[in-house]
Amino acid sequence: MSAQQPVLQLKNLTRVHGSGATEVHALRGIDLAVYPGELVAVMGPSGSGKSTLLTIAGGLDSPTSGEVIVEDTDITKVGIKELAALRRRSIGYVFQDYNLIPALTAAENVALPRELDGTPARKARVEALAALEEMSLGHLADRFPDEMSGGQQQRVAIARALVGDRRLVLADEPTGALDSETGESVLALLRTRCDAGAAGVLVTHEPRFAAWADRVVFLRDGAIVDQTVRSEADSLLSGRVAEA
Amino acid sequence: MSIRHGLLALLERGPRYGSQLRTEFESRTGSTWPLNVGQVYTTLSRLERDGMVAQGGEDGAGHTLYTITDDGRAELRAWFEKPVDRTSPARDELAIKLAMAVGAPNVDIRDVIQSQRRHTVKAMQDYTRLKAQALLAVESGGARERDDVAWLLVLEQLIFQTEAEARWLDHCESRLIRLSATARSAPDAPDAQSEPDAPAAGAPAPAPAPVARAGARTDRP
Amino acid sequence: MKTWFHSWRAAIRIARRDAWRAKGRSALVLAMIALPILGVSAFDLTFRSAELSPAEKLDRTIGAADARFRDADMAGVPILQDPAGEMSAPARKEDDERWPSGPTDVTKTFPAGSTVLTDRVGSAKLTTSHGLLMTEVRELKASDPVARGIMPLLEGRYPEKNDEVMATSHFLETSGLSIGSTLSARNFERPYRIVGSYELPDSLKADQVNALPGAFLAPYGKAAEKAGLSAPDSSVSYLVRKPGGFTWNTVQEINTKGVLVASRAVLLSPPADADVPLYQKDGWGNYEAGPTDRAAELAAAATVVGLAMLEICLLAGPAFAVGARRSRRQLGLVGANGGARSHIRAIVLSGGLVIGIAAAVVGTVLAVVLTLALQPLLEQAMGQRFGSFDVRPLEILAIALLAVLTGLLAAIVPAVTASRQSVLSSLTGRRGVRRSNRVLPVIGLVALLLGGSVALFGSLVTEQVAVVAAGSALAELGVVAMTPALVGLFGRSGRWLPLSPRLALRDAVRNRGRTAPAVAAVLAAVAGTVAVSTYMASREAENRASYEPQLPYGAVAAFVREEGGRDVPAVREAVQRYLPVELRADVDRVSVGRPGCSPWGDAAGCGRFEVVVPPANECPLYAALPGGGDPTERFTPDQRRKMVTDDWRCKESSHGGIYVDGGLLVGDAKVLQVLGVDDPGAVKALADGKVVTFDRTQIDKNGTVGLKQITDTAAADKAMEEGRPVPGKVSSVPAYLVPGDEKSYGVRALITPAAAKAAGLSTVPLGMYAATDRLADSEQRQKLDGEIAKLGSNVELHVEEGFVNEYGIVLLSLAIFAGLVTIGAAGIATGLAQADAEADLKTLAAVGAPPRVRRTLSGFQCGVVAAMGVVLGSAAGLLPAVGLRLTEERDRLRYHEMSVAEGWTGTDTAPPDVPIVVPWETLAVLLVAVPLGAALLAALVTRSRGALARRAAT
Repeated sequence: MSAQQPVLQLKNLTRVHGSGATEVHALRGIDLAVYPGELVAVMGPSGSGKSTLLTIAGGLDSPTSGEVIVEDTDITKVGIKELAALRRRSIGYVFQDYNLIPALTAAENVALPRELDGTPARKARVEALAALEEMSLGHLADRFPDEMSGGQQQRVAIARALVGDRRLVLADEPTGALDSETGESVLALLRTRCDAGAAGVLVTHEPRFAAWADRVVFLRDGAIVDQTVRSEADSLLSGRVAEA
Repeated sequence: MSIRHGLLALLERGPRYGSQLRTEFESRTGSTWPLNVGQVYTTLSRLERDGMVAQGGEDGAGHTLYTITDDGRAELRAWFEKPVDRTSPARDELAIKLAMAVGAPNVDIRDVIQSQRRHTVKAMQDYTRLKAQALLAVESGGARERDDVAWLLVLEQLIFQTEAEARWLDHCESRLIRLSATARSAPDAPDAQSEPDAPAAGAPAPAPAPVARAGARTDRP
Repeated sequence: MKTWFHSWRAAIRIARRDAWRAKGRSALVLAMIALPILGVSAFDLTFRSAELSPAEKLDRTIGAADARFRDADMAGVPILQDPAGEMSAPARKEDDERWPSGPTDVTKTFPAGSTVLTDRVGSAKLTTSHGLLMTEVRELKASDPVARGIMPLLEGRYPEKNDEVMATSHFLETSGLSIGSTLSARNFERPYRIVGSYELPDSLKADQVNALPGAFLAPYGKAAEKAGLSAPDSSVSYLVRKPGGFTWNTVQEINTKGVLVASRAVLLSPPADADVPLYQKDGWGNYEAGPTDRAAELAAAATVVGLAMLEICLLAGPAFAVGARRSRRQLGLVGANGGARSHIRAIVLSGGLVIGIAAAVVGTVLAVVLTLALQPLLEQAMGQRFGSFDVRPLEILAIALLAVLTGLLAAIVPAVTASRQSVLSSLTGRRGVRRSNRVLPVIGLVALLLGGSVALFGSLVTEQVAVVAAGSALAELGVVAMTPALVGLFGRSGRWLPLSPRLALRDAVRNRGRTAPAVAAVLAAVAGTVAVSTYMASREAENRASYEPQLPYGAVAAFVREEGGRDVPAVREAVQRYLPVELRADVDRVSVGRPGCSPWGDAAGCGRFEVVVPPANECPLYAALPGGGDPTERFTPDQRRKMVTDDWRCKESSHGGIYVDGGLLVGDAKVLQVLGVDDPGAVKALADGKVVTFDRTQIDKNGTVGLKQITDTAAADKAMEEGRPVPGKVSSVPAYLVPGDEKSYGVRALITPAAAKAAGLSTVPLGMYAATDRLADSEQRQKLDGEIAKLGSNVELHVEEGFVNEYGIVLLSLAIFAGLVTIGAAGIATGLAQADAEADLKTLAAVGAPPRVRRTLSGFQCGVVAAMGVVLGSAAGLLPAVGLRLTEERDRLRYHEMSVAEGWTGTDTAPPDVPIVVPWETLAVLLVAVPLGAALLAALVTRSRGALARRAAT
C-alpha cells in the first residue's frame, strides 16, 4: 500500500489563529499522508485542531506554514480559482449535517460538482445516478433533501464527495447528528468506498466510529501524539476470523 | 453462572451431545469465551444433578444426547428475565493502574492513558473489522445467519465495552488536564473570581468538590 | 464558453427552486418589477395600436374614395403641395408679391369618369334637451359606398331625407337627445329628426351632426342672414373616386389649377422628398420630427426609465440580499464542492435573472391581456379607435428585457457580497463582522464632489440649467452610493436610546446590505420630491409676487361678443342670479357696420373702430414709419433708455386686465365703481358726456379723444401695412384724464351710452362688470357655468380670485408619492429585517421580553429606515433646487442687465426677484409624518407572536 503515491499529504503543517495576546496555535507541525484505499480517523479532544486540520486539507482554510499536497498539487500555492477547481475535481467534503442543497434533488446534488465543472447536465446526471446506484442509493435519486432521513442525506453526501474522479473524502463528524445505528451505516459506506480505492479522512470524537478506520491518529494541542497502525494479523480473534 | 445458562439455552432448541454443545457455544459467542469439553461435561453433570437436564438416548453415532427438563426451562426463563448483577464490579486492572499512577513520580499519567488508549482503539479497530465482515455475512444471509447475528451482538458488546473504556480514558485525561490547570492557576491568580475572562474561573470551587460530583455523574447510564 | 454555460445552468436551477421555496419574497420582488413593465408594455401596445397605418388613416379620412380635393384658396393659381395634401404654396417664384387669395372652382378639376361626393363642414348652435350646443354640422352622403369608413353607423340608419340627420354618439350623450328625437338650430326653426348615431373613429369625443348635402347648412345660413347675423363659415371638399386612382404626377397636374389633392395612392407610397417641389422651396422643407427632437425625447425617456429602474433595483436589492444571507450555508456548500466565486455570484445573480424573467413574462402577458380587455375603455379615454391590435415583438421584447435587466441589477450587489464571503464562515454560519464595501462609498463621494462642483459651477458661472441638473443628478447618485457609509454614521447616535429603538438602529446599521438599498430608495424618492417641491414653491412665490390681477379682488366680468350681444341679457341675468352680486355695471361696445358683426370680423358690411392716438403723443420708439421698418433702430441704447425712463409717452400703461376692444367701453359710472376707481371728477366727467380716459396719450392737444370708425377694413389693412394713417370717420369727444396712476384693468377709456350716441357711435350690448360682496364659491361658479353652457354662447367669464396656486395639487401628489415610496421601501426593509432577525427575536423572547417588543421593534425598524432616508433625501433634495434657482436668477439678471444696457428697460426698474422658498409643509410631512406613519403601520401589521421556534434547514 505504501508503495503507492499518497492522495493527501500534509507536511509540517502549522496554523496560528489570531496574533499577539490572542495567538492560538491550532496546528503545530502536522505530518500526515493518506494513501488510496485508506481511511484515516483523526481523534482528539475538542480544541485539539481536528476540524482545522480538515479544513486546511480541503483548502477551505490556509495554513500558516507547511504544505498540503493533494494528488501532486500543493494547494497552499494555488489561487482561489484553482482551489475551487480542485475542490470540484479532487476533494469531497462531508459535514456533520445539512450537507445537501435543499433546492436540488439527490441526483442533482451529486451532479453539482460535475456541473459546476462544466459537464453537460445530462452527462453529469448519468454519472451521479451511477454513483448513487453504486452505493445502493438509486431509489433516492429524485428526492429532495427534506424528503430524506438524516442518514440518507449523509450517504448521498458521500456519494457526492466521491462522484467523478474524486478520490479524497474529508468527513467532519459525519455521524454527529445521527443515531448510533444510522451513523454506523454511514461509516460502513465510507469504509466500503475506501476499500474500493478512495482515500478518506474522518474527524470524529467517537472512538466507536473512529474504529472503522485503518489508522487512528491522535491529536492533542495541535500535534499528532500517537497513532494506531493497522495490524496485518488479527491479534485478538485470529481463529474466528478465518472461520468467518 | 453463564456457561450453565448458555448450555441450557442451546438445549432448549433440541437434544444435543457434549462436544456439539461446545461448538455451538463458541460459534455463538465467537471465540470470546473458549470452553473445553471437560468444562462442558462437568457443567452438564451438575445440571443433571440439579434436575435441569436429562440424558435422552443416543444419536446414530453413539453420542449421548441431553435434553432440557421443565425445571431447566424455568431456570432459563428466570435467567433471561433477571438483569445481570452490577453490584460487585469486577476488579479492573486499568483502573487500579491509573489510580496508582496519579501522583507517582517519574510517570507521565497522560502517556499511560495514551498508550492504553492506543491499545483500546486498536482493539476496537480489530473488533470493528470483524464486525464489518459479520455485517457482510448477515446481509448476504445463508444458513448460518442465526449464528452470525449472535456473533455480531457479541462483537458489538465488546466494541461498546471497549468504547466505554476509551471514553473513560478521554474523560480521565481531560479531568487531569483541568485539575492541573486549576492547580497551576490557583497560586498565580488568587483573585481569579473577579476576573470574568479567566477560563478557569468558571468553576472556582475547591478541587475535591468537582471530583465528587463528577464521580456521581459517571453513574449515569 | 461551454463550461460557463453548463455551470450557469446549475446555478439557475438552484435559483429557480429557491425562488419557489421563498414564495412570499419572490412574489413581492416579482410584483415590483412586473408592474412597471406591465405599464410600459401596455402603453407601448396602446400607443402602437392607436398609431394608424397610412391605409387605416385613409379609411378614416377619405373612406373608400381615391382622393379628397380641396380648394387651396389661392384664386386658382398653380400651387405646390406636400404629398399629404395639407400644406400648399403658390408655385411661382416671386415671393414679395402679395399672397394670392380667393376661391376657385374645384369641380372643374374632376377627371372624367370619376364619382364625386361633396363633404361640407360648418357649424350651428343646436337645440338640445338642456339648451344650446355649438355643434359641427357635416353634410356628406354617409351611406354612399365611397364614404364608407369615414363615419361608421352605430345604431339606426343613415339619413335618407332632407329632414333627417344622424349624430355622433358623443353628441347624443352631451345633448341628452336620442335616436327618434328632433333637433333644430337657433334662428332656424326647421326640425330635423335624428335617425341614427355614428362615430368618427379618430375623434370619438367630437360633437357632430350629419345631414344630406344641401339639407342643412345652406338654409341655415340663409336663416341666419335673415336674422341679421353672418352666415356661419363652412368649408367644402370633395371625395373623388376614379378607377386607377391619382398618382403623384396627376396630383401635381391638378395642383396647377389651384386645387389640393390628398390621394390614396400617393399617401400609400409617398414620393421621395426630392420629387416634392414644395420641399425645394425656401422654408417649406419636410419638417416631420427632426432627429434632434427625437434624440431629446429619447434622452428624456431614457432618464425616466433609468431612474425608475434604479428605484426598483434599490427596492428589490434588499430582498436578494436577504435571500443570499438566508442561503449562506447553501452557498458555502457549493463553495465546499468546488464552486468558485463566479459560481456563487452566478447563483445569486440567477435569482435576479429568474425573477426578472418571470416578471417579464407576467408583465408582458398581463399587458397584452389587459390592453385587449380594456381596449374599448382605452379608446374612449383617448377619443380614438385603435387601428389594428399592433404588437411590435421587438419593442415588447426590449421592454421585457428591461425587467430581466432590472432583476439582474438588483441582484448584483448581493451577489458580489455573497461571493466575497469565505466558504468557511459561510459554512460555520458565523455572522462575523460584515465589513461594508469600501469602494462604493468612495465612488459615491467622488461622484458627489464632482456632481456638486459641476452643479456649483453651473449655478455660479454658467446659465445652463442642464449643467446644474446633470451635476445635481450625479451628486444625487453619489449620495445614493454613499448611503451605506451614511447609515453607518447613524449607528453612533444610538447609545442613549431605549431598548427597542436601539436594537432597531443597531440592526439597521449592522445589516447595511439590507438597510442601505431601502434607505437609498427612500432617499432618491424624497430627494426628487423635495427638489421639485422646493423649486415649485419658489416658483409659486415668484408668481405670487408678480401676479397681476385682472379685476379688483372678487369682481366679475362677463362678455359676449357673438351675434350682436343677443345672449348678453341672459348672461347678465345668470351672473346676477348665481353669484353674490353687490353692484352690477352693464357695459356695451361700439359696433361699426351691421349689429350682427363680430368685433373683429371682416365679413361684408362689418367694420371696426379704434381710439386715435395723435401722432404727437406717439412714443417715437414705436411710432410706425412711413414705408415700414423698425422704428426702434433709429436710436442708440442710451437714447432708448432715456426715453423709457423719462418720456411719458413711452411709459407702459399698467398691465393686467381683461381685453377690451379698442380699450373703449360704453358704460356708466358704476363701471368705475366696480373697477375701484374712486374719482369724483371722472364721475362728473361721465355725466357731462365726456370720455373718461386712463391713458394720457389718447388726449390730443385740444383735450379731446378721437374715436375712429373704420368701414373699409381692406383699405385699413393696406394702410397699416404701409405705415400710413388708417382711413375712417373720426368723432372727437371731450375727454377727462383720470389723474394719478389709477389701475383700470384693461379699460383705457369709458363713455356713457348717451355720449356715444351723441358722438354718432352705435353700440351693442357686450356684457357686464360686477362687484360681489364675497368671493363666489365653487358651487356658485359651477351653477353659473352650467347655466352659461346651456346658452351655447361663447361667454368670456372671469371671476377674480386673486393669486391661485396652481402647483398646490402637484406638490401634494408629489409628497404623497414620496410618502408611498418611503413607506413601501421601509416596509420591505422591515419585512426583511424581521425575517432576518427571527433568531434574535427568539432570544429576546427567551430572556423574557414581552411579546410587544416584537411589535415595537418592527415599528422602529421601519421608522429608522424611513427616517434615515427622509433626512438624507431632504438634505440631498434641497441642494439641486437651490442650485437651479440660483441659475435662473443669474439668467434673469443677465437678461435684465442686457435689457438695461440696450435701453429697453429703464434704470429705475427693479432687477428681477428670484426667491428661494423651502416648502416647509411638504418637508414637515416627509420628515415627521411619513416616518411616524411608516413606523405605526409596521407595528400594527406585525404579529406579536412569532412562528414557533424551528431550526432553519437552510
